This record gives sequence, structure tokens and C-alpha cells, in this order.
Amino acid sequence: MEHGNASKQTPTVKVLAKAPTHIPGLDDILEGGLPRGRTTVVNGGAGSGKTLLGLEFLYRGALAGEPGMFVGFEEPVAQLLENAATLGWDLPALERENRLFLLEGRIKPDTLMSGDFSLKGLLAAAAGKSRELGAKRIVIDALEVVLRLFDTPQQVRNEMHVLNDWLQTSGLSAVLTVRPPSRGGASVYEDFFDSMGDCVIRMDARVLDQVTTRRLRVVKYRGSTTGRNEYPYVITPRGMHIAPISTVGLRHKPLGEKISTGVSRLDEILDGGYRRASCILVAGLPGVGKTILASLFVDCMCRQGETVLYIGFEESEAAMVGNVLSAGVGLEPHIASGRLAFLTNFPEAMGSEEHYFNVMARIEAISPRHVVVDAISACARMGGQHAAFDYLMRLLNACKERGITVLFLNQLSGSADFMEISGNDISSLVDTVIFLRYQQIAEESNRLLQVLKTRGSRHCNQTYEYVICDDGVRILDVYAGKGEMLTGSARRQQEELDTLEAQRMAFEIETRELDLKRLRLEQEQTAKSKKNHNGSTQRPQPGPGSPPRILPKGRRSEP
Amino acid sequence: MNAKTGKPEKEAPARETPFYRLRLFVAGDEPNSVQARATLSRLCDEHLKDCCEIQLVDVFEDYQAAIDHRVMVVPALIVEAPPPAKTIVGSLSDEGRLLAALGITEKGERS
Repeated sequence: MEHGNASKQTPTVKVLAKAPTHIPGLDDILEGGLPRGRTTVVNGGAGSGKTLLGLEFLYRGALAGEPGMFVGFEEPVAQLLENAATLGWDLPALERENRLFLLEGRIKPDTLMSGDFSLKGLLAAAAGKSRELGAKRIVIDALEVVLRLFDTPQQVRNEMHVLNDWLQTSGLSAVLTVRPPSRGGASVYEDFFDSMGDCVIRMDARVLDQVTTRRLRVVKYRGSTTGRNEYPYVITPRGMHIAPISTVGLRHKPLGEKISTGVSRLDEILDGGYRRASCILVAGLPGVGKTILASLFVDCMCRQGETVLYIGFEESEAAMVGNVLSAGVGLEPHIASGRLAFLTNFPEAMGSEEHYFNVMARIEAISPRHVVVDAISACARMGGQHAAFDYLMRLLNACKERGITVLFLNQLSGSADFMEISGNDISSLVDTVIFLRYQQIAEESNRLLQVLKTRGSRHCNQTYEYVICDDGVRILDVYAGKGEMLTGSARRQQEELDTLEAQRMAFEIETRELDLKRLRLEQEQTAKSKKNHNGSTQRPQPGPGSPPRILPKGRRSEP
Repeated sequence: MNAKTGKPEKEAPARETPFYRLRLFVAGDEPNSVQARATLSRLCDEHLKDCCEIQLVDVFEDYQAAIDHRVMVVPALIVEAPPPAKTIVGSLSDEGRLLAALGITEKGERS
């Protein structure tokens, strides 16, 4: 790589050449790949997957036409081959084709020390073999294991210098993996490694709320910008997978047309229904009818021939199907036809990355138009709020990129504030919020439905009564007169009273109008007789002085 | 660059001294390698005259041998016979340790 001396005359920016890792997501973060012809240091503890990252860099590179070499100081080559085989990577085939070479670098157990030594054997083997292969990439795994053989930090630094010099002149895109000292002690070579690498990546597997979570961060990248965050990653049955959240919103599909909610009255309230490719959040206390509302939507979409994926964290598939059947929603035909697929797991069964990977594998497999998550509140059990946020954010992001409608159910814990109702951190990505709650009147507990937010659409802010029947749900207007809101039997009673009162008043008005009419007729007649008789003769006033008041007590009429 | 010091006398083991087959990996003329080579040939002359074979391998000339014998650090002396096989790495400056590894006691094996 040339340095800036010549650039005084030509102020062109030299773009750093990169070697793509071909690992899903990682190249996005690295904005193309690892620095080509330079050294990358991958620092990670036991079980962080750094060896796998190195191996995958070589494997995918070899497939893409860049031969590579692996030197392992820790794991036996046979074990690496075995692990790779479980990921479906046929490394022996690549070795036979001279596109890959795995060098056993472990120090033999029968080794004794007598005097000073150097890593020249490694250099000779690596240089010779990489020349033979025409290698473009090299990975030196667990370098710290061999460095431990040296007695003094000075010797370690000397060896590192020699290795560094060789790597720089070799032109290989190199990855050195090192494990930081496990007992937290200061490592003599850690600083040196960090300064040696043009790119430094840290990986770790930490346990949060008893769930293992893996994170990757690009600490430094000379001459390049990168994603600066900590990125979660998973080791999938096909290799590593990293899901950067940084691209949120960039590739989202616009909201689509209105689709039915499965409840005609709710469609009216939402001015036509949910919007395709939007995110709808239904929040409410346990038992308020969130799952039933979701199942009506699922039923409606499946009837239209659209595929739905239902992600359940609370109940089994059979329990959910049975429960909604009691409200008259039959989902079995849709399961039989393949329109409805379930993915049920306990949140604590695995880390959020694995949950994410599982759901994405299902989404890729069945290409649903709609996804239901029941319930997002359970996601915190994947390893805390942060893990839940990661999972939901990435799922939502992936769905929005694919134009999939997402229905999130959110189980509230008690007296919820607005933030909890609207899904806390993810609220900015939620397009519609429906809030279901209870109203306690006398001995009765009734359900209410309210639309708190609808993006890109007109909606009615009113509160409705939400009634679960044997055949679905009904959404009714609540009694909202006289400064109070009544539902259930209180509403019915009040409505009845109101009806009677209205009838009574109507009757009264009618009576009064009749009285007025009569009075007017009388006055007309009086005026006529005055004209005829010059006002000398007076006729007696007809009729009684006051109209009869009839109260329609006890009378019932059907509206 | 293979060099042999000492004469292989395969069929004629003098007394009970076993036959030693040694392979010394060096890296060109770097100081540790030079020292190891010198120390080894002197000790063999002193203790293993006529009953050892030393094969010298320069890793820069024959990297395949380094790969085949898993030699990442040099100098490295591999004792291929008598069994058990063992590896001694370093400039061999610790002669006592080297002799112990070879199973040679100062008194017992001196000719």
C-alpha cells in the first residue's frame, strides 16, 4: 500500500482494497470485507467462534477463487475438519484441489525445551506452502498458544515483529486469532496485537440472564469506516450469521393497501383495516382477547389464500388453536392446507440470536405474507430487555424488508403506561397500536378497545366495547353520555332508560304541539267572530285550561 | 541440505548402546541454529560415537519436512529412535537436559 507522499500532487483518495468474508452480514459491517493484503486480529474468548470466523473466511474465499491456508495451534486439524463437516463444508475436497491447506501447528506433547528458539519453522512452512498454493489468504489460529512457549515479553515481541514483517511482505490477507488472558491478567502481547492489526475485531460470548449471547465489534479499521456498534451473531447450521441493525429502515417496503382485520367493525374504525406490510401492536392484560383478535385476522388472511406464520412463546400450537376455537375461530383447516404455520418455543430455550435464526429460516422456507408474535412481552425471557429488543428489531426489520405484515401481541403486566403499551423501544417502528383493556362496573368486567395510533391512515379515536362471543368478537359503541362511559349491562340498562325517557319526551312534545295547534285554531276562531259581530257577543272558551300530562310509565317499546 | 555426522553402523551396535536416529531442524544460519548444530555434533562425538545418525534439515530449504514433522519452532531436535519419540526445541544450550532426554548419563554411556 502506498502512503501519502505522492498524494500532494494528486489528492485522489485511494480506496482500500478489501477481501470479502462472504459471511452474511459481516461484509455489511466491514463495508466490503477485511483489508486485503493486510492483517486482521480477531480477539475472542473461548467459545466465541473466532476459529470458525477464520475458517469460514478461508472456506468461502476458496470457493470464490482465493486459495487459503490455515495454521492451527490449538485445535487438532481432524477436529476442525469434523466441525466443518457438520456445517456442510467439504474442506478435504478443497484440500485435494489445492485451494486450501490446513497446517497442524500444535506443539507435540512430548516436547522439551533447551535454550532459545524462534518461530522460523512456522514462517518457513507458511511461506513455502502459501507460495505453492498461490494463496491469497492465511489464518493463524490461537497464536497465543505458541507464544506462551517464550519466556520473556521481549522474546514474544521479537517473534511478533518477525511474523508481522513476513505478513506485510507476503501480500496475504491475514487473520490472526487470539484469546485474551482468561483470568483478567494483563497480557503482554494484547497491545502489540492491537497495533499490529490494520483491523481489530472483538468477539465474545457472554451469558445474560442465563442465556448465551454472542456479540461482535469492530474495534479498529485503518483507512476505512465500519459499523461501530456491537453486533449480535449466531452460529447457524451453515456457518456464521451476523445481523446488523444499523440498516434499519433503509430497505423497508412502503406500507401497502388496506387488508381486513377479520372484524368488519374494526375495519370501519381503522378506515378500511390494517395496512399490508405494516406493524400492528395489540396490547392488553392477560385474557383480554389479544390472541382471539389475532386469530380472526389469521383466519381471514388464510381464507384469502395468504400464508401466515404464528410465533408462539406462551402456549403450544394445540392450546392456542383450542382456545380460539371456543370463540368460534377454527384454524385447523388452515394448518392442514399449509396456509398457517406455527413456530412455538419457550423464550428461555435459547439465545435471541438462535430464536432470530430459527424464525428467519421459517420465513425463508414458507414466505409468509403475515407474521404474528404472541407475545413480544415474553421475549425478555430470552436474556433481558436488550436481547428482546435485538430480536424484535431484527425480526421487524426483516419483515418490513420483505413486505410482511407483522402483528405483535403485547401482554401488559398491570397498570401500564403508554410506553409499555406501545411496545417500549420498538414503538417508532409500530404503525398501528390497538389497546384492549377492562372496565370494571359494579360486579361486571367488560372489555374495551381503543385505537391509539395509526400511521398513514385516518382512524377513530373513540373507545369501543369489545365483546367476545361464541362466534368471534363484536365491537360496539359504548354509552358515552352524561360525562361517563358505560359498558355491558350498565350500558344496556342506561340505554333502556334513555330510550324510555326519549319516548316520554317525544310524547310530551307531541302533546304540547297539539295544544299549541288547538290554541291557534281557537284564536283564529275568536278573531273571526269579533269581525262578524263587532266584538259584542263573546263566545265561551272551549276545552280545559291545561293539556293532559301522560307519562308512558311501564311502557316498553322495541327500538 | 542434508548432512551426516557420525557413521551409521546399523548392524554393529557396540556393547548395549542403542542406535540413535536424530533429525535436527534448523533455520539457515541464525544463531540458535548454529549453536544447536555445534552442540549436537559435539555431544554425539563425546557420547554416541558410531552409534548415531543425524539428519540435518533446513526449514527454509525443505518446508515440507517441517510441515510433515509439525516443526513450528526451530531449532528442533527430533529423536526418532530409540523409542519413545521426543522433541527437544531450542539452541540445546541446556546440555544436561538434552542428555537426560537422550537417556545418556555422564558415567554410564561414556566410551
